[in-house]
Amino acid sequence: MESLIQKFNAVPDKLAVDKCVIIAAEKLIEAVKFLKENSFDVLIDIVGIDYLGMENHNAPRFAVIYCLKSTKNMERLRLKVQIDEGETISTLSEIYPIADWQEREVWDLFGIVFENHRNLKRLLNHVEFEGHPLRKDYPAKKRQWLTENDKMQDQLEARLETLGYKVVSH
Amino acid sequence: MQNEMPGFFAGKLNELVSWGRSHSLWPFPYGTACCAIEFMSTESARYDLSRMGSEYVRFTPRQADVLAVSGTITFKQAPILKRIYEQMAEPKWVISMGACACSGGFYDCYCTVPGIDCIIPVDIYIGGCPSRPEAFFDAMIELQEKIKNESYMQERKKKLKEQWENLKWKA
Ligand code: SF4
Repeated sequence: MESLIQKFNAVPDKLAVDKCVIIAAEKLIEAVKFLKENSFDVLIDIVGIDYLGMENHNAPRFAVIYCLKSTKNMERLRLKVQIDEGETISTLSEIYPIADWQEREVWDLFGIVFENHRNLKRLLNHVEFEGHPLRKDYPAKKRQWLTENDKMQDQLEARLETLGYKVVSH
Repeated sequence: MQNEMPGFFAGKLNELVSWGRSHSLWPFPYGTACCAIEFMSTESARYDLSRMGSEYVRFTPRQADVLAVSGTITFKQAPILKRIYEQMAEPKWVISMGACACSGGFYDCYCTVPGIDCIIPVDIYIGGCPSRPEAFFDAMIELQEKIKNESYMQERKKKLKEQWENLKWKA
């Protein structure tokens, strides 16, 4: 954690009770690569937070939190990236493949865009869902008429092709 | 005397069928959330639902009589639940277990069905978050009472009448 603070200008998060540092969005990729080399081998979760309407909050509206774990030292660490509406974060799916789905979830629920993500579409909601339901300004009582589920054909075909099958379209 | 004979026989058959049905209710566990854990404990040795005649939990709707919906049903789940209900053979009953299945519970949000009775008919509701196994037993006994009061012959009569009307309409 100390080396993170020195190397990447990270700031310890005052709100947190565990090990958590706030880091700039541009430094994220480098920092995560550095951490992965230093035994943080599991990306447990990616969490979004919407601070809209929170009292005494004078930071950007959204925060994305990366929960990392080291299975060697049994250590946990969280990286917090603060971004505003309309800003983007670069994807981690090259470093941790699991980030692919976790970022899709965060995009689905909060509308935070991950740059260079190869398949940024809804994970939990129906494909035709409008809006991002965990944003604080999404009306809690709003209901939508949804009928279409995600077909997932594209993912299936991509997976088959990586396994060495040839997908024949008709 | 001759006229009374069928009536006498039908009455007894009715009771026999209702008795048989009410003591061999095979549940289909549609467990989606925490209530399903409570349903498991209802099923297993400590509480032992088989004492009520619900001997087997069937994981295919074709062989089940009671659909025990325990847990939160989201809008994405809803079509699956409806299809499973439709796949069950008649006669079928539905028990809605827990606040979530009955009314959506505290999930008043974008993704939760506000009660499964929006999509399928429900016979017995059980409250609680989660419902205690005792409550499930109570619901089972109530369902058995309900089944005992149902008339197999009346149902049959209604069905035959419907079929007859259909035939007449076609001809
Ligand atoms: S009623 Fe309570 S225990 Fe049951 S599924 Fe809902 S939240 Fe879980």
